[in-house]
Amino acid sequence: MTEMQRLKKEMLRGAVRENVELLDDRVYLERRFRRAEKRWRWPVRVLSAAAAAVVIFLSVNAVSTGGGEKPEVLVVTPRTAFQAPLSGPHQAPRAIAPALFSLEVGKVVLDPGHGGADPGASAASGLAEKEVTLDVARRLRALLEDARYKVAMTREGDRGLVLRDRATFANAERGDLFVSIHVNSIPRKDARAVETYFLGAADGPQIEEVASLENRESGYALSDFRRLLEGVYAGVRQEESRRLAGEVQTSLFAGLHEANRELLDRGVKSAPLAVLIGTEMPGILVEVSCVSNEEEARLLARADYRQRIAASIFQGLRSYMDSREPAPRTAGRKKEKGS
Amino acid sequence: MAGKKDLLHVGIDLGTSRSAIAASNGSRHVVESYVGWPVDMVARKVVKKSILFGREALDSRPMLDLHRPLERGLIKEGSEKDEAAVRELIKHLISLAAPADGQKVNAVVGVPAEALRVSRQNLRTAVKGVADALMIVSEPFAVAYGMDALLHTMIIDIGAGTTDFCVMNGRYPTEDDQRTLTNAGDSVDDQLMMLVKARHPEARFSIHMIREWKEAHAYVGESPGPVQVTAPVGGKPTLLDITSEMRKACESLVAPLSETMLDLLSRVEPEFQEKVRRNVLLAGGGSQIRGLAGVLEKTLADVGGGSVRPIEDPVFAGAIGGLSIALDAPGEDWEQLAG
Repeated sequence: MTEMQRLKKEMLRGAVRENVELLDDRVYLERRFRRAEKRWRWPVRVLSAAAAAVVIFLSVNAVSTGGGEKPEVLVVTPRTAFQAPLSGPHQAPRAIAPALFSLEVGKVVLDPGHGGADPGASAASGLAEKEVTLDVARRLRALLEDARYKVAMTREGDRGLVLRDRATFANAERGDLFVSIHVNSIPRKDARAVETYFLGAADGPQIEEVASLENRESGYALSDFRRLLEGVYAGVRQEESRRLAGEVQTSLFAGLHEANRELLDRGVKSAPLAVLIGTEMPGILVEVSCVSNEEEARLLARADYRQRIAASIFQGLRSYMDSREPAPRTAGRKKEKGS
Repeated sequence: MAGKKDLLHVGIDLGTSRSAIAASNGSRHVVESYVGWPVDMVARKVVKKSILFGREALDSRPMLDLHRPLERGLIKEGSEKDEAAVRELIKHLISLAAPADGQKVNAVVGVPAEALRVSRQNLRTAVKGVADALMIVSEPFAVAYGMDALLHTMIIDIGAGTTDFCVMNGRYPTEDDQRTLTNAGDSVDDQLMMLVKARHPEARFSIHMIREWKEAHAYVGESPGPVQVTAPVGGKPTLLDITSEMRKACESLVAPLSETMLDLLSRVEPEFQEKVRRNVLLAGGGSQIRGLAGVLEKTLADVGGGSVRPIEDPVFAGAIGGLSIALDAPGEDWEQLAG
């Protein structure tokens, strides 16, 4: 046997061993999950029945007491994560129902896209995305602060920030919502559109393209990827982000369509945007206009149109926030001391 | 046990951009890694197929639910559709190799070097039932095996989604011998897109055109001549000069590749470092970037000099290596890897 044949034999043995271990892992995991399923089947049924009984009891009690002040009870819905079918080793855990958490929105982090040496998309007139996003964010901040929400901005002036720093800032500020503001540039110059993204897998190559453009200069290292991707499908955050995106997109389109009749509603989309992967709170990225369209670029240069964008996003945020709270606020939030 | 004639051995290089297969019956095929399903009955009538692959899928994309299922050479996590797409893609590749009726298929599939264990499991799950037995190996290992470059060699496999490094030390490579970077073909495309947009804001082009331009003209260092491409400007085909943009985009790979190459070299046993330096092989589509081998050799000059050379058949090297592994693995090993 030649030296090369010996080496090849040795290496083949290594490759086969690794694959057999992989197979053993799979068999082990399948067995373990089957056992887990059996083990949890009865306790889960018992827990589900108990939870249902509690719900019925509370409902009857609320009616009999004339519906006084709502009791502070965490209602566990019968369908829990334990009931997710465990047919295979890669079954993702079922998303936790967001309704389990009664969480208020106190602080909003606004992220004006691009900045500094990175102008973002540019109009033929020279209008840069970074100017528009900052101006809209400032206007949105004023509206939110008037309604007594706390606001933090990832950048206050014309400075560049990698996506990682934007996400780190939002997390350090302990924001409850994250709104990244961008302006689109699309190949079809005649198209005028608004769209809103939340975190998830890209729905196609065009969305991948948007994601790869928006993910430039992320500042993340390869070693961060596993941790980052583990965050992508975190159920609650994703579901809340999707709802937030829906409210903002609806409001934004309705608000702008009045002044821009040819505007297209490109809807809510999911994409693996790095800035949304790194943030720990529900977050969205709003493409508020298309600077590639001459008419929209002209509108974007106007202060009243930017104010309309800010107001429309604000309405969307407000709808989302109100839908989360026990009773809709009619007056502004009570301002916290020192805020 | 099945005789040789009852078995078809195949090597598959599963790539983000393109996937290739080499089979023991002599067939070789490469397809772009796109899979698309008609969106409705009308689309199905027009395309006349229930599923389309590669270039055909890309060309019919407005009528398809189109998927590019491999992210950094692995199945995108969390998407059943992408899992189905990768299964269909591998099925399609195997069908191109045309196994005879009743012939069993033993497949070796190359994936990025630092593929996470769970992703390999995803791949194994996706391929279940498509091949009779499956072995997953790292792409650079498959390349090295096919070229008998198993000792004192460094393979740098520049794909679309990842660049994989692997030092062959005469043993089956461990994690310490391998690195994966996301600086690869797709990141060059993103850079080029941004740079060309900035220089020719009036021109209209897609990411697919950018990829074609890169594949035809990629270079680093000294320009081999003006790089001129055609794109519509105001609806009229116009010649655009993108010479400096092409160089800048391609050179974005040089620093990360050089750093990683030197880092891996520094970890080789001191007495073998010179041998490895003199034996650096560039594989994958990115190895075709003109001048890249020379620039990396200049980097090696700082640490005592070395030799970097592109391999001869970058499109099929991984698949051919996989086929060699498949053919060399004894029957009893394949029996362990069945199912």
